[in-house]
Amino acid sequence: MTLSFRKHSLGVHTARRIKGIARYIALITLSALWLVPIIFVILTSFKSASELSLRQFAWLPSKWSFDNYIKAFSYPGYDWPLYFRNSIFVTVVTVIGSLFLNSLAGFAFARLNFRGRDILFMIFLAGMMVPPQSIIIPQYLVLKGIPFVGGNNWLGQGGKGLLDSLWGLIIPQLCGSFGVFLCKQFYLGFPKSLDDAARIDGCREFQIYWKIYLPQSTTILATLTILKSLAVWSDFFFPMIMTHSNSTRTVQLALQLFKSSSTKWNEVMAVVLVTILPLVIIFLCAQKYFIQSVVSSGMKN
Amino acid sequence: MTAVTATSKKPKKSLERQPIGYLFIAPNFFIYITFVFIPIFWTMGLSLTNYDLNTMEFVGLQNFIGLFGDRIFLKSLWNTMRYTVMVLPLGMVIGLMLAMLIQKKFIGRAFFRAVFYLPQVISLVASSLAWMYLFGENGILNMLLRTMGVSRVGWLTDPSISIFSIVVLSLWMISGYNMLLFLSGLQSIPSHLYEAAAIDGATPIQSFFNITLPQLAPTTFFVFVMSCISSFQVFGQVYMMTGGGPDNATTTLAHQIYINAFQYNKMGYASAMSVILLLIILLITLVNFRYGNKEVD
Repeated sequence: MTLSFRKHSLGVHTARRIKGIARYIALITLSALWLVPIIFVILTSFKSASELSLRQFAWLPSKWSFDNYIKAFSYPGYDWPLYFRNSIFVTVVTVIGSLFLNSLAGFAFARLNFRGRDILFMIFLAGMMVPPQSIIIPQYLVLKGIPFVGGNNWLGQGGKGLLDSLWGLIIPQLCGSFGVFLCKQFYLGFPKSLDDAARIDGCREFQIYWKIYLPQSTTILATLTILKSLAVWSDFFFPMIMTHSNSTRTVQLALQLFKSSSTKWNEVMAVVLVTILPLVIIFLCAQKYFIQSVVSSGMKN
Repeated sequence: MTAVTATSKKPKKSLERQPIGYLFIAPNFFIYITFVFIPIFWTMGLSLTNYDLNTMEFVGLQNFIGLFGDRIFLKSLWNTMRYTVMVLPLGMVIGLMLAMLIQKKFIGRAFFRAVFYLPQVISLVASSLAWMYLFGENGILNMLLRTMGVSRVGWLTDPSISIFSIVVLSLWMISGYNMLLFLSGLQSIPSHLYEAAAIDGATPIQSFFNITLPQLAPTTFFVFVMSCISSFQVFGQVYMMTGGGPDNATTTLAHQIYINAFQYNKMGYASAMSVILLLIILLITLVNFRYGNKEVD
């Protein structure tokens, strides 16, 4: 009896160990596969042009030098610091603006009582299922027809409106059905006694939002910051349609154009690496929040 | 005591209106109406016209009739379907597999999770460029094939292969996202179910099919709907990697909208395509609501 029991537990133990080792082998293989493209970006960005055209394939560059980086970032016709400034400006302003507007609207939908509130919220929600490509043409026409800017008269005619301007990239993305939805769900979980206490203290609605709700919203704001920054920083479709000149170019657009200007993969990869580095570093430092953001955005649906 | 105060307070509260709420939603709402809501109907209106940014002419349903005789459009629909049919199940299976591999706590778990999720923080343009180098005519894959003595493959230039290359890129991009969703689904399955099954002598495979999969159903459904919607909108990968080619072998619905609107200036025709895309997504969403509600009941 005892013997068989021991034998059994030993079997379980080895089985578990084998399972553990098998899992590591599977995971190491898979993660190696996942990293292949990134590894080649890194290796290629250090290789010389002659190494790329070698008949014999070599994994490692023969000499690690930053020549490609220097060449790529001083490529004629490209003003990379400007593109980074543009992208950072658009991302930061859009994220801060949309955090404020979305959480304010979310607060109103969750806590304030006004006529037509639920219908207005449904109209908002409808926006979540609209594919961006299906409304891009009217969006282009709307931006072109904004009055008083970009040489337009009061009827929105004559000029280019907000087309080809950074504000044209920012303003449409300030609203966010999804952000409002997440904030509303989040605020619904707040105890109502919080508002009552504040109201007794004589707080008006905005003060309740600003002094009580907003300071308690760190988790949801972190989630939204991550989702929105990723979306805005990485987006190339909207800027590609709405801008065309060098002065309004974003990093993603420049990256895409650079491939057609420079035929040298080692230079392209140098630029690719520099453009992905900021977000990858932020991700590695704040992994926990990134994962939280996906999970909370998924489960709330 | 508390009950009394609660009931005496309630009717007073429901009467109290806070019209300042309109002001709070106003900026968001105004932008939303201008850039999303009105454009939906504007697209529908434009789809009934011929419009090239200068002249507009009403043509009724002509565009829609034209669409169904348009070989390239039909091909783009077919490609979108093919793409979805491949990416959807594979993305879910890979996502679930990764989630199950890293579900338990072990040394290095956070590292593996980060690796699989990493493509999500890399922009589509950068990802596409990295993969173009792998798939290129003189790219890494062909170089490796050559060292093995195999002749080169047109990963992006062979019409019968290029769509698979795009599928591979997409799977690389989305699997980590699916993994995280499945992971949180797996973690919400109560462990006593597995313990009970183990006592009853269930094999791991049995408990996977009888516990894990049924318990994961809501997550699976959510992942299914989200991937379905994003697959039907696939654009960036196609635009970057193949430009829809070779010979329209990889062009998709969203790609055709872009080409017609912003390269051929056929805004009305492209709007008709947009309406079709909108209808497809609407259909998926409605199915989602139907079954989503059923699950709640």
